[in-house]
Amino acid sequence: MGRSNQTPKGGLYRPDIVRAVLSGHSVLGIAFAAVIYLVCLTGALCVFQQDFTLWEQPGLPRVASVSDAAVVHAVAQVAPKVGNETLYVAFPDADMPRLRLTMDNGREEHNWIADAQGHIAGEVATPWTEFLTTLHIQLHLPRSWGGFIVGLTGVALLSSLISGILSHPRVLRDAFHLRLGGSRRLQEADWHNRLGVWALPFHTLVSLTGALLGLSTIIVGALAMLLYRGDTEKVYAMLLPPKPPVDARAAPLPDIGAMLATAHARAPQANPHMMIITHAGRRDASVSLSEERPGLLAAQDSFVFDADGRIMQEKHPGGLTLGEQILGSLGTLHFGWFGGVAVRIAYGLLGIALCVVTASGIHVWLARRRDKGRAAPHWERVWASILWGQPAILALTAVVGVAAPEMVEHVATWLWLGLTIASVTATAVLARLTDAGIRNMLRRTTGGLLVVTVLVYLTRHGVSADGVALNIALTVLGMVLAWPRGKGRLSAPAVEAVEPMAHSTMG
Amino acid sequence: MLLATGVAVGWLLRTSWRDRQNERPALVVGGWLVLVAGTLGAAWAMGVMPGIAAALALAPLGLLGVVAQGAIRREARQPRDRAALAPEPLEGTSRAWRGWIKGLLAGPLGMTAAMGIAFCYAVWMPGALQTRLLIAALLVPALWGLAMTWTLADQRLLRSTAVLTGTSLLGFGLAFLKGMS
Repeated sequence: MGRSNQTPKGGLYRPDIVRAVLSGHSVLGIAFAAVIYLVCLTGALCVFQQDFTLWEQPGLPRVASVSDAAVVHAVAQVAPKVGNETLYVAFPDADMPRLRLTMDNGREEHNWIADAQGHIAGEVATPWTEFLTTLHIQLHLPRSWGGFIVGLTGVALLSSLISGILSHPRVLRDAFHLRLGGSRRLQEADWHNRLGVWALPFHTLVSLTGALLGLSTIIVGALAMLLYRGDTEKVYAMLLPPKPPVDARAAPLPDIGAMLATAHARAPQANPHMMIITHAGRRDASVSLSEERPGLLAAQDSFVFDADGRIMQEKHPGGLTLGEQILGSLGTLHFGWFGGVAVRIAYGLLGIALCVVTASGIHVWLARRRDKGRAAPHWERVWASILWGQPAILALTAVVGVAAPEMVEHVATWLWLGLTIASVTATAVLARLTDAGIRNMLRRTTGGLLVVTVLVYLTRHGVSADGVALNIALTVLGMVLAWPRGKGRLSAPAVEAVEPMAHSTMG
Repeated sequence: MLLATGVAVGWLLRTSWRDRQNERPALVVGGWLVLVAGTLGAAWAMGVMPGIAAALALAPLGLLGVVAQGAIRREARQPRDRAALAPEPLEGTSRAWRGWIKGLLAGPLGMTAAMGIAFCYAVWMPGALQTRLLIAALLVPALWGLAMTWTLADQRLLRSTAVLTGTSLLGFGLAFLKGMS
């Protein structure tokens, strides 16, 4: 008999260990499934944040590159509105061909767009994209709490990946098995395991980086409590560029043009990526400029100038520590913003795969309960309402975002929260609904809403180069989802006619 | 190219692992070598880190394409008891208080223990300050995840409590003793 027929019996794959780990995997998956699913779904969409930004507000000037003079001109125009606050200047690149200037002091936020000559062309208003991003990053809770919950979700996902592998004794033997149509439990387990195992490096990467991004506040806080009597500034100071001594007296805007020229001269291969002008209009102003070059994950050339244009800190790729490289790459790696549209599509698809892994895990658990005579129809309905209710609700917020962008900023969060609570509550109490019926209805609703989104968009904006690709993608996806199909198979009569799963790794 | 690499890897490995009668090490080694070669090619074309990261994202899609291509359609069958063939989770007479304690162990105490080890690393290990801090920060979710896996699987609550409490006290204590430098 060949090697692949043998099931390992010793070591970590001893039956008692496998069953114990599987038990933990099951408990963790059930406890966190809904929030893991939500974070993964919104994460898969946030991969396309730049595309959504262009799509949501089309027609603003596209800029392939800008001259230093244009940047200086743009900064000078917004400087009076910025006052002593911090101004962010994001330079255009292939993925986001817009020159953006942002002022956010916590009380008010402005995002301006400038054309190739540096003339301010308007303010950016992409409230739906911001709603989506905030939902992914902090679930619309206060930053520290929301970030912590999302970070904890990342840890739970990481732990589920570990326990999933440890509770799968036949990981190699089953590596290419995808058995559809026979047993519901076997089919769902095959989806769960194949999508979980073959994309494991990706799942591990996004859950680890996501957990760290979410937990960063509490990690820094704990380290500060331990070593610096709670002074988090001292921890951040170890990672952030130096600051000039405090001097709040008024001063003219720093000479941005000279700083850009200095940067070009000292790093001619690099292109400006982001400029942060801190305390603009004060004597202790500083200008931090990060630059990127091809072949690197993140911007690794950086300069920090004081108000007089003196270089306070200068770094280039060869001189960065591993820690600085990791810090610069975390967000890029997490969201897939490094390899153009091909990598974004791959990240989006694998993000959806992670949603399927989560959903199929719950389906296996529900099917196993039915097989054992302990069916939980209310949980089947609730899960169905989350599984397809969230895409439907997000699609509805997109319709509102396109139809009434000035309104969506105020209503999107409450619309999402209200409809989520309402749908979960309704499906939990309305026993005459079947989970298959709920899934079918919500799937088709999602598809219909996506098509409506595109129709409203075209009515409002017409055909715009900024929106063509996404509109085509949304239309195709919407039509596929709305297309009528056979009834789902987890409804009570159907599930009784299928056999129990043989090789599940999910309890 | 990376998608094609994934397809090639998938085809070689599937051909090898489907053969239940014979060992086919050449195909297995060939499959993994194709993956390494594809990753190196991407690293050469895109830069080292972007290439590796792109390979992690794109090659699995090709592999999953092979899995989907080999999907088997079956007829729905009547249920029969095959549960003995599958690993099943432990189902003891679990009590609510054990669940709460496991939750506390896997949650707050697991996090504290992970932070203890991570801060110890940041304080005591050699290397650049930023590197120690970032590796320590990455260790927190990784170790917390491991602690979660272990405590949820371990039926001996006292053992988990003792190990996690001891690790937390030791880790934070040692980190506090030396301080950051």
